[in-house]
Amino acid sequence: MAVVEYKGKTFEVDEDGFLANLDQWGPEWVEYVKDLEGIKELTEDHWKVINMLQDYYKKNGIAPMVRILSKVTGFKLKYIYELFPSGPGKGACKMAGLPKPTGCV
Amino acid sequence: MAERITDIGPPHYSKFLPPIIKDNYGKWASHEILEPGVLKHTAESGAEIYSVRVGSPRIITTLFARDICALADKYCGGYLRFTSRHNIEFLVTDKAQLEPLKAELKKAGLPIGGTGHSVTNIVHTQGWIHCHTPAIDASGIVKAVMDDLFEYFGSHKLPAQVRISLACCLNMCGAVHCSDIAICGVHRTPPKIMHEKLRHLCEIPTTIASCPTGAIRPHPDKNLKSVIVNEPRCMYCGNCYTMCPALPCFDSEKGGVALLVGGKVSNAKSPPAFSRLAVPYIPNNPPRWPETVAAIRKILIKYAEGANKWERVGEWIERIGWEKFFEVCDIPFTFQHIDDYKFQAYDTYRTSMHFKF
Ligand code: SF4
Ligand code: SF4
Repeated sequence: MAVVEYKGKTFEVDEDGFLANLDQWGPEWVEYVKDLEGIKELTEDHWKVINMLQDYYKKNGIAPMVRILSKVTGFKLKYIYELFPSGPGKGACKMAGLPKPTGCV
Repeated sequence: MAERITDIGPPHYSKFLPPIIKDNYGKWASHEILEPGVLKHTAESGAEIYSVRVGSPRIITTLFARDICALADKYCGGYLRFTSRHNIEFLVTDKAQLEPLKAELKKAGLPIGGTGHSVTNIVHTQGWIHCHTPAIDASGIVKAVMDDLFEYFGSHKLPAQVRISLACCLNMCGAVHCSDIAICGVHRTPPKIMHEKLRHLCEIPTTIASCPTGAIRPHPDKNLKSVIVNEPRCMYCGNCYTMCPALPCFDSEKGGVALLVGGKVSNAKSPPAFSRLAVPYIPNNPPRWPETVAAIRKILIKYAEGANKWERVGEWIERIGWEKFFEVCDIPFTFQHIDDYKFQAYDTYRTSMHFKF
């Protein structure tokens, strides 16, 4: 398992760059993934998506379906892609520290 | 994101049609099979095009692709196509090129065939080459089976076409659920649970919901944030592993091949049908899977002997009855053959006095 050092913090990551230990999530992680994702600046809207994903995951134990994410944040899928170029799964969920999406993706 | 091109779709197919196909698009009058592997299509205008079909291993190198391009350049004006069973078709307009092309294909070891009442290419999957959920390999078994049935690829000696398909797990990517003979990878061990890793890798509710038999429950120790599997309820489908990497299910000793028979997709004569279990388990035996190869040959030979002309494998079995099928193919009938999956299983039992001893 690879280990990433960023701003004095260490993160264990898997081969796709998702957190291998969810407990290590912190604002530094968001900063770190932001650079990888080619996101220039974290806006309020970015945080709205990240917070929604984290709240939903804490409450339900799963990542929300895309339509629920859209409905709750009020952001259309197109705009979510503008915020997170790799999309809600590879981009936003990775940043929010949720487990990697599975299934036939 | 600068200069990123997106959403352009595939190139329009009309860019790659031989001129004669473009000119006669939608205006074909008839076709005939001149010999195994060679078709002739005649248009209303009288124009003719010949297709020479050759087998391909599906997984190919760029060098192989270049080789077939070179052949297409030499004989077909640069045109070729792939069929929906991954055979290659060289499209010849100039009849004089037909024999030289065939000769060169033979020299290159590209088998001509796959038309008419043959065993054409095997639709198959990733296996141990690329997927993470297989119970068997794909390319290896396909090579072993086609080697054994090679005589049926370049000939028309069967009662009807026989479609063989392979899927390396019960996800059944491809056509195993609807093929005359189907090879399907099955596990025989329940998943092993990596309790410490599970909560970092998996969504527990999704994992629980992925189980068709309801065998998975949250771990009674709430602090562990894991799951438990009720093993007598597990039928080793491996679906939970697809959803949760902390539940690996593969055991190379215990996984193996199941054979299904009697499926079809066409509506000719009889409606489309699912394939059904014929042999519940044959061990994995790389690199040549001799037991699997022998079992398939036996079914094919008995079908070829017993079926009427035009009768697909499933139609033959329906006519003689399943008990007769097991008898002639010498396949032991076991409890695994009897459907026990939810309510629709009832419909597969015999509710009549009609049967043969
Ligand atoms: S059939 Fe199963 S193992 Fe094979 S490619 Fe599909 S998902 Fe993977
Ligand atoms: S292998 Fe299939 S039946 Fe067994 S626990 Fe997993 S999902 Fe359920």
